[in-house]
Amino acid sequence: MSPDGGLSIVGTVLAVAVGCAAASLWLLLPRGESGLRERAARRFGMLLGAVALGLFVATGHRLGGVGEEATFLVVSLVAVIGAAATIVTRSPVYSAIWFALALAGVAGVLLVLGAQFLGVATIVVYAGAILVMFLFVLMLAQPTGMASYDRVSNEPLLSAVAGAVLLGLLTLFIGRLSAGPPSCCAVPTKAAALAGANRPTDESDEADAASEPAAADTPNTPALAGTPSAAAGSSPTTHRPSPPDMLARDHVARLGGELFGRHLLAVEAAGVLLLVALIGSIAIVSRTPPEERLEARPRRASA
Amino acid sequence: MSELLPSPTTIAALAKIGLLVGGLMTAAAYLVLVERWIAAWVQDRKGPNRVGIPLTKIRLFGLGQPLADGLKIILKEDFTPRHVDKVLYAAAPLVLLAASLAIFAAIPFGSVLPPLGIEGLPDPIPFLVAPALDVGVLWVFALSSIAVYGVLLGGWASNNKYGFLGGLRSSAQLVAYEIPLGLGLLGVVLAAGSLKLDVIINAQAESGTWYAFAQPLGFIVFLVAAFAEAARLPFDLPEAEQELVGGYHTEYSGIKLLLFLVSEFLHMVTAAFLIVIMFLGGWHLWGVTGSGQEVTWLGAFLRFGVLSAKIFAVILFFMLVRWSWPRFRFDQLMSLAWKVMLPLGLANLVTVAAVEEFRPQLVEAFGAGPAGWVAVLIPWGVFFAGWIAAGLLTPSGTDNTPIHTHGPLDVEHELVEV
Repeated sequence: MSPDGGLSIVGTVLAVAVGCAAASLWLLLPRGESGLRERAARRFGMLLGAVALGLFVATGHRLGGVGEEATFLVVSLVAVIGAAATIVTRSPVYSAIWFALALAGVAGVLLVLGAQFLGVATIVVYAGAILVMFLFVLMLAQPTGMASYDRVSNEPLLSAVAGAVLLGLLTLFIGRLSAGPPSCCAVPTKAAALAGANRPTDESDEADAASEPAAADTPNTPALAGTPSAAAGSSPTTHRPSPPDMLARDHVARLGGELFGRHLLAVEAAGVLLLVALIGSIAIVSRTPPEERLEARPRRASA
Repeated sequence: MSELLPSPTTIAALAKIGLLVGGLMTAAAYLVLVERWIAAWVQDRKGPNRVGIPLTKIRLFGLGQPLADGLKIILKEDFTPRHVDKVLYAAAPLVLLAASLAIFAAIPFGSVLPPLGIEGLPDPIPFLVAPALDVGVLWVFALSSIAVYGVLLGGWASNNKYGFLGGLRSSAQLVAYEIPLGLGLLGVVLAAGSLKLDVIINAQAESGTWYAFAQPLGFIVFLVAAFAEAARLPFDLPEAEQELVGGYHTEYSGIKLLLFLVSEFLHMVTAAFLIVIMFLGGWHLWGVTGSGQEVTWLGAFLRFGVLSAKIFAVILFFMLVRWSWPRFRFDQLMSLAWKVMLPLGLANLVTVAAVEEFRPQLVEAFGAGPAGWVAVLIPWGVFFAGWIAAGLLTPSGTDNTPIHTHGPLDVEHELVEV
């Protein structure tokens, strides 16, 4: 990207996009009004949201091939729209479904960018286990209905503005970090490969860390393209692979080596933490009040 | 412009998808017929044997029945009850069918084709839609957990207590049995060293030892969990027709019901594929198919035939089990998952990990040939130990005696009886 002129144009477009996104979210969040005014507000909010999405897409980098571009746009739009619909829908069951759709979109983004394990694990862990549990409880709780104060969002203005500003800052920051076409999908030129090689390691780590939470919200996070190769443990001095090369690599073995080599302590700590949580939940559940314990009898007492 | 034209790889992938979807749909239709024949045979009836070629008197053993059934159910009115949640009611069967079809992207349905010599195609061509997917087993796992949404939403959107109960039962059952299923898978993945299903078959073909023999405990755990995941009897509580009318699809009719029923059959087919590929050697048969990557045309079709025959045998087993076991009660179902299958699965995993870790030492101590036998015998020892332990520790699995409280009425009743 050209140093100053290009950046300021991008910055202006981003600012407009952030403004549109904030206004759209504020209009869409449920606020307990009803009737014609609310419906008009929702329509206008959807329009503004579409404008914001279009602007965000316009500021992003191109991925290269037509197929990749189209697939990436579709899955990322699914992720963003699903995430927005999760917070603006009133029915908790529909919220959960939209959230599942957003997760599917995120998994799609990860798959397009070559992080197969992360993509599939997102579905297995979030959509397959956690969200099904949510749905289970939501569906059981549904018949009792909800109080009116549960049907409106708290502080819609503040939260919409804060979310949109965070999104804009992340997009700007990540976009500046990965100036130039993302190296995973374009055929790497020598200059691009050298640029990738010269990038300091801690900076790319920061980009990875920053792009993780933003994945659901930003349609154009080109730095994410660096995530699979960085997560797969390729040292920054190697050349970025071209697409067929990237598909042929044994992702899972590399990821496993990285997890149980460099990050062994973190993995073990997480495992111990989960075990403690498991034991704790069993201890809480199995604590019966003393009067029940007296009455509990062996089943065959009467036989 | 040349960028927009599909590459040979894309065309090959599309051809595989077409073959697979067409084959699966036809197979599902005819498996319904087989299931009805087997039901009739078990119950000493004749079963469907009338429908043959229309407008003639040729009956063809009833082979026209699936077509007639399909036409009937497709031409039925697509009725939507007024009390349902319309969007989710329509989406649920689609989600279920899409998930159960997409699973097959990672499942190999044969070995490889010999090189065709077309430029741009990889040689040899694998019988697999997505050969570059490095996480095949996880993909299957992920999409079968997506399939839960179809059942759950169908039950909830129906706004009917039977449907709702079916959906709840189904989600609880599927979530519970995912864990033993995963533990059974992990043992195989650990032994084969890959998440790709074709690599798992190759590992079994090369060693000649199917994982059902090397990991008997894992096989049993996986088999039971696969029955439960496919919601087949004795685990068909989500749609127990004596209690819940039709379970989660009580309110469905016409083509939407057809989608549900087809997906259910596809689940069974998926389970059979997984059982055969992971534990019964896939396309491998000693002395018939060979074990290398180099194949002739005859060899390629022989392997396809062996795999299909094995899958058909497992499906026949599924259908015979349906008429051989009574349904579990829900608490029995849950205690089987958490108290029996989970510990057994863990025991299997630990055994496999230990055997694989100490294999070099085994080879050093016993020599290459006997070490293989020892590596098989240790899991069998664990299998019998686990069987005995499970039998001794959980005897109340079939305890159906009602719970008595000793009130005055009970005492009187007992006196009268004495």
